[in-house]
Amino acid sequence: MGMVVSFWILAAVGIIAALGVVLLRNVFRAALSLILCFLIVAGLYVTLSADFLAAVQILVYVGAISVLIILAIMMTREVAQGSPNSRFQIPAFIVAILFLEVLVLTLINTPWPVSSMPPTAPTTAALANSLFGEGGYLLSVEIAAVLLLSAILGAVVLAREK
Amino acid sequence: MVIGLQHYLILSAILFSIGLYGVLAKRNAVIILMCIELMLNAVNITLVAFSRYVVPAMLTGQVFAIFVIVVAAAEAAVGLAIILAIYRGFEDIDVSKIDLLKW
Amino acid sequence: MNLALFIPEITLLVIAAIVILLDLFIEQKRWLAQVSISGLVIAGGVTIAMWGGSYPAIFNNMLAVDNFAIFFKMLFLGIAFLVILSSTDYVSKFSKFQGEYYALVLLATLGMMLMAATTNLIAIYIALELTSISLYALVGFLKDKKSTEASLKYLLLGAVASAVLLYGMALIFGFTGKTQLGEIAQVIQSLPPMTLLASPGLLLGIVLLVAGFGFKIAAVPFQMWVPDVYEGAPTPITAYLSVASKAAGFAVILRVFFSAFGLPVWLSLNWGLIFAALAAISMTVGNIIAIPQANIKRMLGYSSIAQAGYLMVGLAAMGMASAENILGQSGVLFFLASYAFTNMGAFIAIIAISNKLNSDLIEDYSGMGKRAPLLALALTLCLISLIGMPPAAGFMAKFYIFNAAIQNGLLWLVIIAVINSVVSAYYYLRVVKVMWLGEAASAEKVPSSGALRLALLLCCIGVLLLGVIPGYAIRLAQLAANIFAY
Repeated sequence: MGMVVSFWILAAVGIIAALGVVLLRNVFRAALSLILCFLIVAGLYVTLSADFLAAVQILVYVGAISVLIILAIMMTREVAQGSPNSRFQIPAFIVAILFLEVLVLTLINTPWPVSSMPPTAPTTAALANSLFGEGGYLLSVEIAAVLLLSAILGAVVLAREK
Repeated sequence: MVIGLQHYLILSAILFSIGLYGVLAKRNAVIILMCIELMLNAVNITLVAFSRYVVPAMLTGQVFAIFVIVVAAAEAAVGLAIILAIYRGFEDIDVSKIDLLKW
Repeated sequence: MNLALFIPEITLLVIAAIVILLDLFIEQKRWLAQVSISGLVIAGGVTIAMWGGSYPAIFNNMLAVDNFAIFFKMLFLGIAFLVILSSTDYVSKFSKFQGEYYALVLLATLGMMLMAATTNLIAIYIALELTSISLYALVGFLKDKKSTEASLKYLLLGAVASAVLLYGMALIFGFTGKTQLGEIAQVIQSLPPMTLLASPGLLLGIVLLVAGFGFKIAAVPFQMWVPDVYEGAPTPITAYLSVASKAAGFAVILRVFFSAFGLPVWLSLNWGLIFAALAAISMTVGNIIAIPQANIKRMLGYSSIAQAGYLMVGLAAMGMASAENILGQSGVLFFLASYAFTNMGAFIAIIAISNKLNSDLIEDYSGMGKRAPLLALALTLCLISLIGMPPAAGFMAKFYIFNAAIQNGLLWLVIIAVINSVVSAYYYLRVVKVMWLGEAASAEKVPSSGALRLALLLCCIGVLLLGVIPGYAIRLAQLAANIFAY
């Protein structure tokens, strides 16, 4: 019962927060709305018994990415410019609605191979095993390390003055 | 009523579509970047939900989601670096006047 | 696990790190290019030595070391070699960040090599993002108005495309519970046909994958980033994008669609038709919009969209073909190799000319035949190859790929493609006409450095060799495509 109630509350707040990101005229408020949305996603992870991922979500998204975005807004005085819509507002709305319709119809009508097993919990040790252990995703971890190197290089090059 | 896989999938589809709308309808580069983060979060919900309901013993979806978070952080860093560069370098390019769909 | 099979990738990474560190200490920046090139040569040598061997996949079966992967690794290393050769003049003008430029080129190459070799959706996604993020930074490297704007546009659209791709991957993972391509194929083939027909989730996942990869290969309607990014990026990077990034996209598409969705037949027919439709639209739109372009980089941008269309004819043929027929796959591989030489050659000639002119406008190329006869001759050869006329490589490539399509019942598509080739001759030959028949604005010669001349010479030799005696290269492409035959 608690699970049901918490899902619906999280879902409702999450959708409102996401709408806030695209509808609020003030860029700073939109960013705050996005942060709320990140927190909601962390909550959803908890209901999906992904405890470690919920912590990562809060650390990386709420802790790091949000700060980056707010920093960028402050440094570029984006607030003054507001959040204008493009000429494509109406086509964009139609595209998004059609896409949503196709997605929902597809998701409902597909027989997903749902398993009745209980979820693994706690997940931290199991995740570490599947990232670094035998039969794990070690290759992806190594590529991700190189990706971070490349992102650091790129950010430094682009942000420094000429 | 029991909350199942489809509830999460549809919630994620709604969030993804809101993000998609924002990407297409907004002209402010920072907002577009925020909408992209929203889309990636939506996909992550899908991945974790599949992980929980389809392969509960394997955690594959959660591993996938961790990598998506890594990539999202890297993309945000590079994207915001570009926006900063634009703001500092050329007052005459308005980051809030970017039409992504211009041919 | 045999780490020796991972040496090419490790070499590139180590050399990239060395280049960054070396940049801090040395005054003579030209050494950076030489170190990078030596790294590419070592990695290339090791890769060539692996050709033909049958090695097990490493990293828990996630990284294949088959002929297909090795073919693409050689291609990417070769392209990176040409890009760095043709960048040396360009980069020496930068006051800062020369080391980072070469390092990012090497890291992007590493990402592409991994893209061609991984057999796991997660690793494919990360490798693709490694390539993309390096390229976003490289596109903005000039730090002027156009370049920075191009970089922002590329990043925003690229990120959206990768989010869509990711959604597709998530649906496929949800439907099969697997991320390993071979295991996905097993699950799909074990399902009864009726279940598959009643599962729109899988089909939607495939469509979203096509959209995400379509961005990488610049197929219509996912091409809107191409003209601005090609125009704004440093020219060597434009060349790199148009050739290597496209080839990497095709490598992933070939592997994913064939290994995971090759069977049952009706599934492959479905995605074959999607690619056939995209091919027809891409060729037509690319060629028609290319005609009025005044900027040669923009024109080649639209031309590259059209070329992606011709390449997708091969993908369509592959979807229509039965499993033993690998004509479509090997056709795509051969086309990619010949396109790599041709387009690199064209861009290197443009780099040399625009170094002097400081302009990319086609009208400024007037009289280039008198001012720089060899450069103009090389550019003419490459443009002829892009049209697909003998004796250049483009002719053999188109012949091969169209033949594959006809054999698999796609005559209508080939007719559209041939009409398109005729249309494209108009705007390619316009450049040739301006160069040879136009009046020169001044009699000044156009100088070019030794590195540029060497790179251009290599490209021209490649274009002619593949055009006149294609047998050996076709054999290589067939051996590489053999992993697709059951």
